[in-house]
Amino acid sequence: MTSLTLAHRQPLGRSLTPFWFLLPAILVTAGVVLIPVAQTAWLSLQDYLLYDPDNARFVGLGNFARIARDEVFWISLGQSFIWIIGVVGLQFLLGLAAALLLNQSFWWRGLARSLVIIPWALPSVIIGLMWTWMYDFNLGVINDIAMRLGLIAAPIAWLARPDTALYAIMLALIWQGFPFFAVTILAGLQTVPAELYEAAEIDGATARQQLFYVTLPSIADVIATALLLRTIWVANSLDVILVMTGGGPGYATHTLPLYAFLRASSSMEFGYGAALALILTAMLLGVVYLYVRRAARGIET
Amino acid sequence: MERRTFIKLAGASALASPLARPAIAQGTTTVRWWYHFDNPQHSPAELIAKFEAANPGIKVQAESIPWGGGNDYQTRLFAALVAGNGPDCAMVRLSWAARFQQMKALSPIDDLIAGWDGRSDIADNIWKINRGADGKQYYLPLQYVVLYLYYRQDLLEQAGLKPPGTFDEFRAAAKALTKGDVSGFGLRGGAGGFDHWGPFVLGGGANFEKGGMVSDKALAANRWFVDLTVKDKVVPASAPTDSFRQIVDTFKAGRTAMTIHHVGSANEIVGVLGDKVSAVPVPRGPDGKGWTYFGDESNAVFAASKAREAAFKWCAFLSTAENNVVLNKFTGQLPIATSAAKDWTLHPKRFVDASAASLPFAASLPDSPKTPDFIARIWPANMQRALLGQIQPDEMMRAIEQHFHG
Repeated sequence: MTSLTLAHRQPLGRSLTPFWFLLPAILVTAGVVLIPVAQTAWLSLQDYLLYDPDNARFVGLGNFARIARDEVFWISLGQSFIWIIGVVGLQFLLGLAAALLLNQSFWWRGLARSLVIIPWALPSVIIGLMWTWMYDFNLGVINDIAMRLGLIAAPIAWLARPDTALYAIMLALIWQGFPFFAVTILAGLQTVPAELYEAAEIDGATARQQLFYVTLPSIADVIATALLLRTIWVANSLDVILVMTGGGPGYATHTLPLYAFLRASSSMEFGYGAALALILTAMLLGVVYLYVRRAARGIET
Repeated sequence: MERRTFIKLAGASALASPLARPAIAQGTTTVRWWYHFDNPQHSPAELIAKFEAANPGIKVQAESIPWGGGNDYQTRLFAALVAGNGPDCAMVRLSWAARFQQMKALSPIDDLIAGWDGRSDIADNIWKINRGADGKQYYLPLQYVVLYLYYRQDLLEQAGLKPPGTFDEFRAAAKALTKGDVSGFGLRGGAGGFDHWGPFVLGGGANFEKGGMVSDKALAANRWFVDLTVKDKVVPASAPTDSFRQIVDTFKAGRTAMTIHHVGSANEIVGVLGDKVSAVPVPRGPDGKGWTYFGDESNAVFAASKAREAAFKWCAFLSTAENNVVLNKFTGQLPIATSAAKDWTLHPKRFVDASAASLPFAASLPDSPKTPDFIARIWPANMQRALLGQIQPDEMMRAIEQHFHG
């Protein structure tokens, strides 16, 4: 507020100076973000087939009306919610547990901290292929171990059954993404002053009470930021699904970004695909808003 | 020159220079060619060197584009053409021809073919299959495969059966061979699996004409096909999503007794199973008709190319006898040139014979802009739902009819 009132008293040229400094960044952002987004919005209002660009027609909100009647859209939307909540939630719990363990002192802690990063460092396509073969019906190691342990009587086609396929892929993604939480939370944990624990101990707090009344409140900001960021990433991610099932069997592993991708890529219906992508973007904007507000607060304080 | 103009020009040329074609010497034409080999370690460098030595005025810039089951390659090619930055020529499939036609990406090459010595070395029926809807040639055939039935000779002999020639024999064999952890038929329900569905449903009487998917015969054929999975249970439980890698590896591991693929996997399979594996054409339907997929691959010269004749020269070079042999060493497919096919030794003879015996009833998919989407999205989604009992087989056929004929 004070900076605004100050600006009124200063000559115009000087109050514009900060904007000149910002200009290059704004231009680059416009070039790589704003213009493509505007183009997508414009595409979503057209019936645009990539192989037939001369006959593109303006259809207004026609694509959105078709989407509302599209069974596959609703299936994909429902599964997107399961996907986001399940993956982010479990990645967080696993990451928190890993971070708490790695914050203890033991002699190979350095090694353990590097090892935990590995899933995060692997390319998604490799992860997709690796898990596809682990889940394989005939040759997969998961069926083999489960049968040797007597957990199942016959091998299960994890990725070919509509009741298991989505959860099987989610497990692969949880494995891939939990190190992000582990590392972020671990960094947060190291900022918690040791005096707080000493004080808690003197007051007779149990380990459990220390976790809930000292540790978690101290790193709440870190957790919230990590959750928001991860939600955006997971909501948008389709690479692992694409590699593992391509959305099948049937529509069992369709999520919204995957469906938009399939319509744009294999059907070449760029208009319809753009409309689907815009709907996803609109829903994510809520999360983005929360994140930006949080980030801005961080800057102000 | 004003400073601002200079900066603009410098910026523009800096942006443009990586895109510009290298002008090595005056009078040199560069041909940009897109290709894909299943094994990315293979390179066409040897062929390019030979071509450039014989044609000093032409440079070939070969760009390997990831295949991704056909979808990745296709999308990139169409996007590049729409953006005006497409190659001069590229490896293409017949099923894309209608989309190319619609965007006027190709121009006829009849005049160039007429002046090419190698044209008579390609069989007449191949020229016919590759002809455009208007009777003109847009594609220059390069190589092919034909889908046939792999079977385990040893298992069939133990069961006292001969290789199936009809649908009924096939079903009986599949049932007899399904024992313990072995399934009779390695069905491909995942990406690219339309070539397992085609022999039984298109061969059983369905077709892509209006009403052709929902005729009584077509519906019955599709129900029969779905029943292999749902009622007879002669396929692995993972069949609905199994794709190329799974059907081949499962067959190699001895977990399936029959499957359908082409000569491209023959050496890999023989490497593991040796003499225990052989092949016959896919079974034929009750009326003796059959259908199997003609997996075509051609080169096309794009209408936007400024090096039309040089590009054709390069494509024609690749389809010429001994060069065609070298190329097929890299791709693992069969040479299109008749003289090259005669002494073909790169695959065991029984698989080449099964391919040749399948040619008379081999066909491609309809020349429609909707075909690629049928392959990539409509067929897999509906087939998988039918195999899993989520929809009735007839609903699947209605969805396909709807896709092509609205």
